[in-house]
Amino acid sequence: MTEQEVIELIDSSLAEEFELDRADMTPEANIYEDLGLDSLDTVDMVIVLEGAFGFRIREEEAIRSIRTLGDIHRFVVGKTTENS
Amino acid sequence: MRDEQKIAASDSGAELIPVLMSLWCYSLLLIWTLLGILAFPFAFSLCLLFLRWPTDQLMRWFIWLYGRGWLLLMSPFVQFRREQMQQIEVGKPCLFVVNHLSFFDTYCMALLPVHDITFAVRSWPFRIFWYGGFMRLAGYLDVEGSRWVKTLRNCRRTFAAGGTVLFFPEGHRSRDGQLQRFHSGAFKAAISAGVSLIPLCIDGTDQLLPPGRKLLHPCRIKLRALAPIDTREFVEVDGHVRLRKLVKGQMAKALEEMRTLDGAVDGLQEIHGRADEENPAG
Repeated sequence: MTEQEVIELIDSSLAEEFELDRADMTPEANIYEDLGLDSLDTVDMVIVLEGAFGFRIREEEAIRSIRTLGDIHRFVVGKTTENS
Repeated sequence: MRDEQKIAASDSGAELIPVLMSLWCYSLLLIWTLLGILAFPFAFSLCLLFLRWPTDQLMRWFIWLYGRGWLLLMSPFVQFRREQMQQIEVGKPCLFVVNHLSFFDTYCMALLPVHDITFAVRSWPFRIFWYGGFMRLAGYLDVEGSRWVKTLRNCRRTFAAGGTVLFFPEGHRSRDGQLQRFHSGAFKAAISAGVSLIPLCIDGTDQLLPPGRKLLHPCRIKLRALAPIDTREFVEVDGHVRLRKLVKGQMAKALEEMRTLDGAVDGLQEIHGRADEENPAG
């Protein structure tokens, strides 16, 4: 899977789960302030990413520092590279 | 000139009603709540002794009765209407989802024909000191502060005991009356437990206490139950997304219908009112 394909899968999975508008999903978008996610969504976000990529990330410390969509892209691209 | 005086008098009358209503409702709500808290230890112990229900179920019944009292004290100013309640089978476990317009939506759930309702709520209501203890005793679910696995386990336990669980899938009150984004928790819980999901539509509570206002306003509140949905048809991966979209679509349609009808009734009343004013003898 190329980096672009990984990013596309992240965005489409999150858009589907959280009813997000793809136009708002820029790498700089803050997932809380700009995309409107809240504390109830963070667990769902992890579950969605685990389901989409088949890895387990719920115990990862790095997840706590995620703020923007770009952070998610970097984190997941890193994980997929690590696992390949 | 006389017409202008009439209009001014009717305007000041209209402004006075919310003040009177707020005085009436807030003071009676305070008395009702204080009475409830004072009578609670005695009444609860007595019911525990004679009814022998589980503590949490009995507490949920008490909360439902408290809600019924609230409906009664609001009734001089608020018209309550229940629609399609025959969709709800009393005694059959199910999961309710309801749109969220106001803090008072929870009180309106006393309009439901079932009293064993476990509310799934965020953490902040548990911090209201005069309600928090009762909510814990009733086994309400703190979906924000608890781990999801625990919430799911508690949902299953409630269903196994023949109870119902109620979620506000939007998580927050809507500021413009329109449905907001739905969280997935309620839909995952219903699918995972294999119980029916009943969408509920509430309308009018946003008129009762409009956002940013302190005074209550007379209004019509309607609670409609939609047809139960068999969640066993949604067990595939991401089935909750399909169920969520289906429910949201049904609720949006029902709300639009409820509001259109309400608007038509208001329009007719306005026309009749005007005709009466023009022809008082008629």
